[in-house]
Amino acid sequence: MSRFFKHRWLLLAALVGLVASFPPQWYPDAWRIELSQWLGAPAYRALPESEPAAPRSVRAYCPEETPDYRAEYNIAGVRISASPVCQADNPWAVAAFVRGTNQVGPEVLMKSGLAPDTVEKGADLDGDGDPDEIHIRLEVAELNGASPESSEPVMQFEMAPGIKPGLWVFTPRYVGMATENFESLRAREGIRAPSPAIRVEQGDRVLITLENTHYMPHTLHLHGSDHAFRDVSGEGNDGVPIASELPIMPGQSRTYELQLRNTGTKFYHCHVQPQVHVMMGLQGLFIIEENRPDNWLQTLNIGAGHVRASSVGVRAQYDREYDLHYTDVDAELNSMIQASNDVRTVTESMHRRYDVTEATSDYFALNGLSFPFTFRESLVLTKPGERIKLRVVNGGRDGMGLHTHGHTMTVTHRDGIASPPAARVTRDVVWIAPAQRLDLELDTRNDGIGAFGPGIWLFHDHGSRAITSDGIGPGGHISAIVYEQELGPDGWPRTSGVSWDPFFTEAYYQRRLPVWEAYAPGWFGEAGSDGRLLLRIILMAFFLGLFLALLMDSARRA
Amino acid sequence: MLRRFAAVIVSLLLAAADLSAQDHHEHHGHRMSSDVSGMTMNENTDRLPSECAEISGHVNLTVHAGRRHAEGRPGAMFGFSDHVFEAGPCSLVTVTLVNDDEIRHQWMIHGLPRYLYPGGMFHLETAGGTRRSGSFIVPGDARTYLVHCDMPQHMEKGMKAQLLVGGGSGDLWAVPGTSDAFRREDYLGTGDAWAALGIFIATFLAGLILLRRA
Repeated sequence: MSRFFKHRWLLLAALVGLVASFPPQWYPDAWRIELSQWLGAPAYRALPESEPAAPRSVRAYCPEETPDYRAEYNIAGVRISASPVCQADNPWAVAAFVRGTNQVGPEVLMKSGLAPDTVEKGADLDGDGDPDEIHIRLEVAELNGASPESSEPVMQFEMAPGIKPGLWVFTPRYVGMATENFESLRAREGIRAPSPAIRVEQGDRVLITLENTHYMPHTLHLHGSDHAFRDVSGEGNDGVPIASELPIMPGQSRTYELQLRNTGTKFYHCHVQPQVHVMMGLQGLFIIEENRPDNWLQTLNIGAGHVRASSVGVRAQYDREYDLHYTDVDAELNSMIQASNDVRTVTESMHRRYDVTEATSDYFALNGLSFPFTFRESLVLTKPGERIKLRVVNGGRDGMGLHTHGHTMTVTHRDGIASPPAARVTRDVVWIAPAQRLDLELDTRNDGIGAFGPGIWLFHDHGSRAITSDGIGPGGHISAIVYEQELGPDGWPRTSGVSWDPFFTEAYYQRRLPVWEAYAPGWFGEAGSDGRLLLRIILMAFFLGLFLALLMDSARRA
Repeated sequence: MLRRFAAVIVSLLLAAADLSAQDHHEHHGHRMSSDVSGMTMNENTDRLPSECAEISGHVNLTVHAGRRHAEGRPGAMFGFSDHVFEAGPCSLVTVTLVNDDEIRHQWMIHGLPRYLYPGGMFHLETAGGTRRSGSFIVPGDARTYLVHCDMPQHMEKGMKAQLLVGGGSGDLWAVPGTSDAFRREDYLGTGDAWAALGIFIATFLAGLILLRRA
């Protein structure tokens, strides 16, 4: 018996130590109240200090890579309006798309980077001064894809600081390297999200050749645009593998034929496993303009959305025109092309393991970019008293409630069909179903209804998710209607609120920066740890270990 | 770099002979010759690398490109008919790229001396169903050069090759048929893990029993 208590004093000391080190803040509330009635409240103890702000590298808001793109130009006889945002579209590419890449001289073509047969323009069939035979060649590019040599994505396209989900896009044919240069992993200008908006004229004979440069089968489905189910040779022409034709295999090409009797803002997308391929980015606006004399159209609109050479019909009614293409990204799906370099594994994960019925969107883009990069190029610019046409498509998987600050929008067309004037609604939130297109009119006369005057007025889906990037706000597809007087010389809006440094820091979207640190340093910083509590827990662990060891030793001896 | 066309481009029409069909330009110092069927960049048949006294020989390479050349390589989608090429030091290499697909393909070599080849590259590009030839002179030292198609994902999915000059300086990673991928999946299912676990338990138990008997 006495052996059992051989270490009794040590055992007792361990037990006392264990009890004494137990943190009083974890005592039951009733005990704590009882104790305070005897001893009074315990002494003041400051809460842990804020963690010091981590050093961070802030990107340039406006990198000024191509400042010469912003000016008004007359290239190859094409009047290209100024686009004074930070990063405007390449005006030589605009000119080549208007005249035809087969019609412009070598210098324009070289500055556009395009292949000579990307947009071929032929005969003027109705004799009204513009070409009506249009042949467009598109390829399929993978952005932020896998490599057998590194875990870094290749052909990089950054949606927002540090955000590079895998994407598929239709692209026009360029010449040469797909990256900026051999040392760079960045995709060259023009190979980017979203897929280009295509513009043709009512009555045009349009051929679109899809050259499947990608490693999976794809098609082109011309959603809403007038086309026959079979082409003249009897081949399927609708792009739907389960109804009209076999998909285009990697390395193959097919030409789709359209002769358009209707007008309006339509859509196009791949129809192979569309629940996956459309969401990966194989979708774009398809716009059919009214037939007018001398109507030279910007056949492709890549990038920023501003139509720098609008049609005769649009110019007659509007001061500016923008294509706004909204898409969203499910990181689970879009990372699958990065997880494997084996086409079989990628095919299996995307088309069998991935379940779109359980999908949630994580990233939201306007014209391929998320906030704050939207502010580099996807702003809607205006001067007071302008009429602006917005062609909007919701390419995401859910409906969206597009809201404009300081302005109302009038819905003139739904899915390219004009609403009768009496039925046109004016709203500050418009609902857009998936794949739906709305033509919206902004009237920036300061009348208290259409517009509330100059400023930097945001526009975004008012559903809370799409104003974040994976839940971190501000992110998503937030952009703004900006009055030109608010722009700096580099095209950056002179905002007067908080610093945007955190938003141009990758760490912010990785949840590593306190949200309000930029303007209220310290107050809302990250709380440090409670050293005293930690010490008590370590002591408890020590005494508990000692106690149990002694107890077991005693039991063995007994 | 290519983004900044406007600031740095000097476009030169080098050959006035057939302007409508064929354009020759200098682009960022690259010498380009292009038409609707493709493009040749930085062709060089006479300027010698500094260490070469003369052209040592002439190597003719005919390379087919397309999906059919990935057959027999599981998990790949595009390929060249050959992925390893050899040339003697200081030789003149003429490449004929035959595009067996209906889409664009390229044969692009990197790492050549920049004083002869702007950007260090020589580049052939062919539209679907076309062929194109071009020549360049390789340097005199033993070195392995990267050859690939730079279309998005084409190199990754099989169109990677190498040119060994003077026997080369070792293989590059991930050359189909020649060298392993640096990043390789494990291709194991959950069943495989259970099998390994089962064998571990069986061996352990058998070992215990045998050791007790000994």
